[in-house]
Amino acid sequence: QTKLLLFPLSSSCSASFHSSGQTQIVSEQAIQREETMLQCIFLLSDSGEVMLEKQLTGNRVDRSICVWFWDQLLSHGDSFKQQPVIASPTHYLFQVVREGITFLACTQVEMPPLMAIEFLCRVADVLSDYLEGLNEDVIKDNFIIVYELLDEMMDNGHPLTTEPNILREMIAPPNIVSKMLSVVTGNSSNVSETLPGATSSCVPWRTTDIKYANNEVYVDLVEEMDAIITRDGILVKCEVFGEVQVNSHITGVPDLALSFVNPSVLDDVRFHPCVRYRPWESYQILSFVPPDGQFKLMSYRVRKLKSIPLYVKPQITSDGGSSRISVMVGIRNDPGKAIDSISVQFQLPSCVSSTDLTANHGVVNVLSNKTCIWSIDRIPKDRAPLLSGTLLLENGLDRLHVFPTFQVGFRVQGVALSGLQIDKLELKVIPNRLYKGFRALTRGGQYEVRS
Amino acid sequence: MFPQFGATADTLSKASTIMFRIGTDAHLYDDPEDVNIAPLLDSKFDSEKCEALKRLLALIAQGFDVSNFFPQVVKNVASHSLEVKKLVYLYLLHYAQKRPNEALLSINSFQKDLGDTNPLVRAWALRTMAGIRLHAIAPLVLVAVGKCARDPSVYVRKCAATALPKLHDLRLEELSSTIEEIVGTLLTDNSPAVVGAAAAAFSSVCPNNYSLIGKNYKRLCTILPDVEEWGQIVLIGILLRYAIARHGLVRESMMFHLHSKEHSSSENDDSDVHSTVGKVGIDPSKKYDSELASMISRCYIEGPDDYLSRSSYSNRVSLAFSGAKFTSCKNNEDVKILLQCTSPLFWSNNSAVVLAAAGVHWIMAPRDNIQRIVKPLLFLLRSSRSSNYVVLCNIQVFAKATPYLFASHFENFFILSTDSYQTKALKLEILCTISTDSSIASILKEFQDYIRDPDRKFAADAVAAVGLCALQLPKMASTCLEGLLALTRQDSFTSDVRTSEEEAGVLVQAIMSIKMIIKQDPPSHEKVIVQLVRNLDSIKVPAARAIIIWMVGEYSKVGEIIPKMLLTVLKYIAWSFASESSETKLQTLNTVAKVLSNSRGENLETLQKIARYVLELAECDMNYVVRGRGCFFRKLLSCHLGSKKLEDEVITSPENEGLLNVLSEHMFHEQAIQQSPVPINYRVYLPGSLSQIVLHAAPGYEPLPKPCTILHDADTEADVSEQDGSGSFTGSLDEGSGSYNGSDHSVTSGGNTESGESGSSNEDENIQDPLIQISDESHLLPAASADLEELMSKRDLETWLDDQPSLPNSSIHKESKVPRSARISIKDIEKRVRPKTYELLDPANGNGMKVDYTFSSDVSNISPHVVTIQATFKNCSIETISNIVLKHEDSTTKPSDCSESSSQDDVPALVPMQEITSLEPGQATTETIHVRFHHHLLPLKLVIYFNGKSFPVKLRPDIGYFVKPLPMDVEVFRDKESHLPGMFECTRSCIFKGHVDDLNKEKGDHTFSKDKFLVVCESIALTMLSNANLFLVSVDMPIAAKHDDASGLCLRFSSEILSNSVPCLITVTAEGICSEPLNVAVKVNCEETVFGLNLLNRIVNFLS
Repeated sequence: QTKLLLFPLSSSCSASFHSSGQTQIVSEQAIQREETMLQCIFLLSDSGEVMLEKQLTGNRVDRSICVWFWDQLLSHGDSFKQQPVIASPTHYLFQVVREGITFLACTQVEMPPLMAIEFLCRVADVLSDYLEGLNEDVIKDNFIIVYELLDEMMDNGHPLTTEPNILREMIAPPNIVSKMLSVVTGNSSNVSETLPGATSSCVPWRTTDIKYANNEVYVDLVEEMDAIITRDGILVKCEVFGEVQVNSHITGVPDLALSFVNPSVLDDVRFHPCVRYRPWESYQILSFVPPDGQFKLMSYRVRKLKSIPLYVKPQITSDGGSSRISVMVGIRNDPGKAIDSISVQFQLPSCVSSTDLTANHGVVNVLSNKTCIWSIDRIPKDRAPLLSGTLLLENGLDRLHVFPTFQVGFRVQGVALSGLQIDKLELKVIPNRLYKGFRALTRGGQYEVRS
Repeated sequence: MFPQFGATADTLSKASTIMFRIGTDAHLYDDPEDVNIAPLLDSKFDSEKCEALKRLLALIAQGFDVSNFFPQVVKNVASHSLEVKKLVYLYLLHYAQKRPNEALLSINSFQKDLGDTNPLVRAWALRTMAGIRLHAIAPLVLVAVGKCARDPSVYVRKCAATALPKLHDLRLEELSSTIEEIVGTLLTDNSPAVVGAAAAAFSSVCPNNYSLIGKNYKRLCTILPDVEEWGQIVLIGILLRYAIARHGLVRESMMFHLHSKEHSSSENDDSDVHSTVGKVGIDPSKKYDSELASMISRCYIEGPDDYLSRSSYSNRVSLAFSGAKFTSCKNNEDVKILLQCTSPLFWSNNSAVVLAAAGVHWIMAPRDNIQRIVKPLLFLLRSSRSSNYVVLCNIQVFAKATPYLFASHFENFFILSTDSYQTKALKLEILCTISTDSSIASILKEFQDYIRDPDRKFAADAVAAVGLCALQLPKMASTCLEGLLALTRQDSFTSDVRTSEEEAGVLVQAIMSIKMIIKQDPPSHEKVIVQLVRNLDSIKVPAARAIIIWMVGEYSKVGEIIPKMLLTVLKYIAWSFASESSETKLQTLNTVAKVLSNSRGENLETLQKIARYVLELAECDMNYVVRGRGCFFRKLLSCHLGSKKLEDEVITSPENEGLLNVLSEHMFHEQAIQQSPVPINYRVYLPGSLSQIVLHAAPGYEPLPKPCTILHDADTEADVSEQDGSGSFTGSLDEGSGSYNGSDHSVTSGGNTESGESGSSNEDENIQDPLIQISDESHLLPAASADLEELMSKRDLETWLDDQPSLPNSSIHKESKVPRSARISIKDIEKRVRPKTYELLDPANGNGMKVDYTFSSDVSNISPHVVTIQATFKNCSIETISNIVLKHEDSTTKPSDCSESSSQDDVPALVPMQEITSLEPGQATTETIHVRFHHHLLPLKLVIYFNGKSFPVKLRPDIGYFVKPLPMDVEVFRDKESHLPGMFECTRSCIFKGHVDDLNKEKGDHTFSKDKFLVVCESIALTMLSNANLFLVSVDMPIAAKHDDASGLCLRFSSEILSNSVPCLITVTAEGICSEPLNVAVKVNCEETVFGLNLLNRIVNFLS
């Protein structure tokens, strides 16, 4: 107690803080203009409940902002939900919605909005990685981990440590072993006792002292194909967004070099921080020291493709208060491997009152929000899948004059439809043996057929 | 049948959930209070402490206040378990500001941890210690940060950098130089990770201290690609600002080109620019919308608010960019290296980094290279749905200024059905902007698809976009028209079925677009008009019909077919008049009137018949607007109507008739007038900024620094005065104002009328008298000179106009000559201010004791945070009253030592007053009491003791006295006001009647009649000053054409909040007629939004 006297209280430090309340309006220290970026992060469940709040600066944000936010959301509906930047009466809000969880961040001052959005996305990624999915329950069940992660990821409104590999070393993710251990021993520390070595190395994404019995590295090309087919059946846009995903388990600090057979097809690229810019600029070679485990090495874009794997031919005719719809799906250009997980999804126009849809192959589901999903999976050899049926229009409507857009999903295992091919993967510092694996996968992305 | 089975299944599922959640903290979140937390905190086992802390955190997460555990939690800060530490820190940071006293208990432990061998412990201790944010420990934290800034661990150094802004937030002047020094040290750190954090600290601690950057500029540029992504975003911004402040804009860049175009006639070095343009092969007039683009670059440098407000003056003061303000990219190493080092960042995984890098290239890169930003920006569109919108907002600005950049990438903006409405609208706009002759065909095809989209609002937008494209590319006009016409014929619109509102919107939009296209060149689109008119019968939407009918009147003489069919059409619309909506009726009237007044002989009789028929119908209409217009046209067109009956009614002298003819000519023949291009007033903020998304300057938004404001030696202090002296950016002169600001506020000084009539006075625009300002910016009509004369004699006006404001004697000169009438002086007002008196205790209830109180405007001598109140104690009884004292209600139980400012109690507190020993009957005494309200607005419960009895009373706080006057002049006021936009501004309006009585009184005695405006001004000012403790900054008098129109009357008040000296600005604007109740709009600009809102409510309350 006596030591306290060493810090005499000045009148200016008489801080007074009020959690909330109508009558207490201004507290002394809250006035100070904060120049930090984000002030607070809220995690909201899909029913608007505030599951968690993490205040990032001294200037606390009251929960009432969430109430305001949710009221707006209810009164404005979807258009509000999709608005990433909102100017509320007291704060600027950034929202990112993942799996029904709303990540809401507040600020009062100018800051790059993309920085906030990107950060929230990063938080969402890290959390869903830690908790193996995102939903209300897992967040509540692991709220301590969420708190610890948020505290480590952001300090005073500025991102601190966002590299997943370092985070994993600082705060252990919950796994079966640790869960069981905690039940048995009653001790469940998930906070690391030491600072991860990577924080001080010049490759901050990798710990230095990793040892594996088997050295292996897997490279996956995962592509998503976007296409727009107009109602005249013309392909106006077809491009591929791909990622090079690497999963590496290599002893020591390896230096890898990945090259492509045809790098010229790439229109634009974005890299993981580990990729060195210079070799790419001169020789289109990806030279990097990989993080340990799974990571996204690079994303790329290939434009102006000419061939699409699937055709979808919708036909809608209408007269006398009902419409006939038929949708045919088939293979347009055989990619050489089987196409599976084919699905066709479309939104019924609001003037359709009831439907009667059947398919000769696959399952048709009409959801309550008038979304129709037709899951085909694989196209059978003997016949072309056909969805047909009638749409009953609302009273007084004679014909259908708005037409749905069909979103097509599919998957082709083993082929990168962009045509990009990996040439070779070289390891500069050679350990004993290295197993290399290569795979490719293409999915349907924003693949739309208009009718 | 098997009840057990059901039960088992139920328990099984329960069990499985439990199994799933086992080992997690689920039970702690679900039911944090099912055990007593306090004993667990004192437990000697770490695991139990952890559990207790987790329960507390769960309560925090759920929004409960658990600060009462603070002392117990703080004790655990000394624990050796890192997990306990982490949890304690989480708790501590959440509540430290609320319990500063107890938080101090933890400092010793932090001090110890700072010397720990584990870097993680050191870093956490530093982060938490700085996060507590107490003034008392700031010097300690500073020492710790200084130590940690030299720590061997990168992580600790990084945390030291992030701790600096926390210290800076405390605003301790004596520390700031040390803080900046540490920022400087950290910026030179070897580790890129530290540099990134240091950059963030720099931008919040000392963003204008360019000398710190200047020293390391090259190194910072080269290290940029290695800095961690979040640091990159901040560092890019800093480097860009430095480069501009140091070297100015780049001669070859977009920004310069845009400027030079405007001054091409005057600039000498212009030929150089044009030759480059020629080389690149871009025809500038075609490729750039020069006005828009030059506006963009100026907005970047000046901020749109300044620029736009300035440009509303009739003459846009052009920025004279001297050649010295520019640099060339070819020979400037600094610029070159910045561009070089930001270009690899286009490959960054972080979209904010890519956008920031694109912003640098947009502003600094040579035009030939600017193409580089396109692909990365387009790639960003695919990164995530949320960032999509932000990126599009930025692309929109780029595309507007330089459409050719994105022209070949149009298919990237094709709309997907999953896009949000905002995204769709943005994409449509961008598609219109970038459409070219080669791409328009594909774009129009796309638009056709969009028109069938289920979202009808979007479909209507798409139709509007077709019209815009046609305007942009006249070649396509006919194709677009065909498509639009086909749309109007679609049976969904024309069938008898009621069309929904949204559907109608599409049709109306289509016809509007057609109208817009036809307007460009009516004769060549004659057939389109004919077709539309033919469709008139089948088109049911009133708004659409109205437009078509308008077109009939407007183009009645165009081409050959229309005049022929005109009569039939008129008959048709006259016939359907009765069944139309009023909107259509009005247009029908217009059309009939136009045709009639245009007609030359042929068919005149029929026309007159139709017109009379329509006018008669109109005059019997239910809608008064239609009736009114009917009557009006009848009078106006009486000569054309040619009816005898009418001529009897209106006795038209030939002279009068001629006048009517001229009038109708003017009304109906104006179509040839070419509208001058509307000045573009987009708000443009720096690329990648929040302000660009919300379209207002967010607090803390800073435009780019003025080019070349730091000298070549890169010393800091040299710049500011120099900048102002050259005046190249301020545009309007400021020098003159100095002499006036010096004049005493209370003296009736300088009558400055800004008068736009005289060219010479343009220079004086910014010179304003602090007391009265007669502003004429917008509505100075020729007639206004009469009003001017009322306010000051002509001679004075003339002498004043001739006066050069910068002459040193001018203010004195004016003081002697200033006229008597139109001045309000503050002294005058202040004398008349009578603060309201409230009753605290009335004699009936208080044994003959009467206590009144008034809020006083004096600043308390005890503490600046305390409100002073004058209390008058009066003995109305017949006996002597003794030992009077005013106390807290609960002061009996606890000694009130509220004067002690260290008290953490935030309840309102009364500074104990001296006891009044005795009061004779009839005697009254006034005491000053001091109350610290802490901004509580609820009545304060007090007790008056006298004669051994106690009487509970309630003291009602008045928020108007939680502020104190903050003297300033108008310039400062405006400046402050401009820094408090958006969220910090709130407005309400009310009706003000206070002046009506005064005016009536004036009417009563004729001896001395005051100016009505003055009475109103005084009345408002008095009301304001009597109810709140404010400073009257200025009164703006309206100079309107009418005598008694008080619209535009504007009073400005300033004040600052007692407790924290945050300025609070109040603007009162009146509207209406002097002699009637006025519509008063009150605006409060205050950083403390809640306080501002409460004050606003209070002001509105007492004004009305």
